[in-house]
Amino acid sequence: MEAELYLIRLLHVISGIMWIGILWYFNFVQIPSMPKIPDEQKPAIGKVIAPEALFWFRWGAFFTVFTGLALAWRSGYLMDAMMLNEALIGIGMWLGLIMAFNVWFVIWPAQKIALGIVEADAALKPTMARRAMLFSRTNTMLSIPMLASMISVQNPVM
Amino acid sequence: MGKILESLPLTIAAGVILTVVMIFGADAIQNSQMTAPEAPASEAMNSM
Repeated sequence: MEAELYLIRLLHVISGIMWIGILWYFNFVQIPSMPKIPDEQKPAIGKVIAPEALFWFRWGAFFTVFTGLALAWRSGYLMDAMMLNEALIGIGMWLGLIMAFNVWFVIWPAQKIALGIVEADAALKPTMARRAMLFSRTNTMLSIPMLASMISVQNPVM
Repeated sequence: MGKILESLPLTIAAGVILTVVMIFGADAIQNSQMTAPEAPASEAMNSM
């Protein structure tokens, strides 16, 4: 049991670093740098780096949630957390679920249009790019309380 | 909200504020769940 929990927690942390690391790369590095990149070099970001980063980003989100739910279930606090009987970790888990929903059902569909991965009206691209940016920023904002909640399991704050 | 999210420093500040609100909010939820079952007992004691 101890070894199983250790392995699930390790996979959860690795997936989480992949997810939140790329989220912060987008928000702290790529988005602020885009206006400084010459137009002829922008396709390197839009056509090569961003699609690759988005692949690891969305699957990192998926496996973070999957291993997180598995960890809570195998540790015996899944229902207590989801019902907020364990309030702090429960809030963090709900924040993580909202963030993962944003990744799969808002950011990724919007980015597919903005980056030209799927066929769409060209006039739609700026709208979708802005939607993806705002939801990515929302996730960056939520990532701070979410991470604070996650460490509270092993380091109670109050 | 859009104005806050367009600015990275304001986004981070909002995240920090949310963190503080979450910690105190979770503590309040936890305390209310612990004291709720005790309420009838304290009411009974007051009526004695």
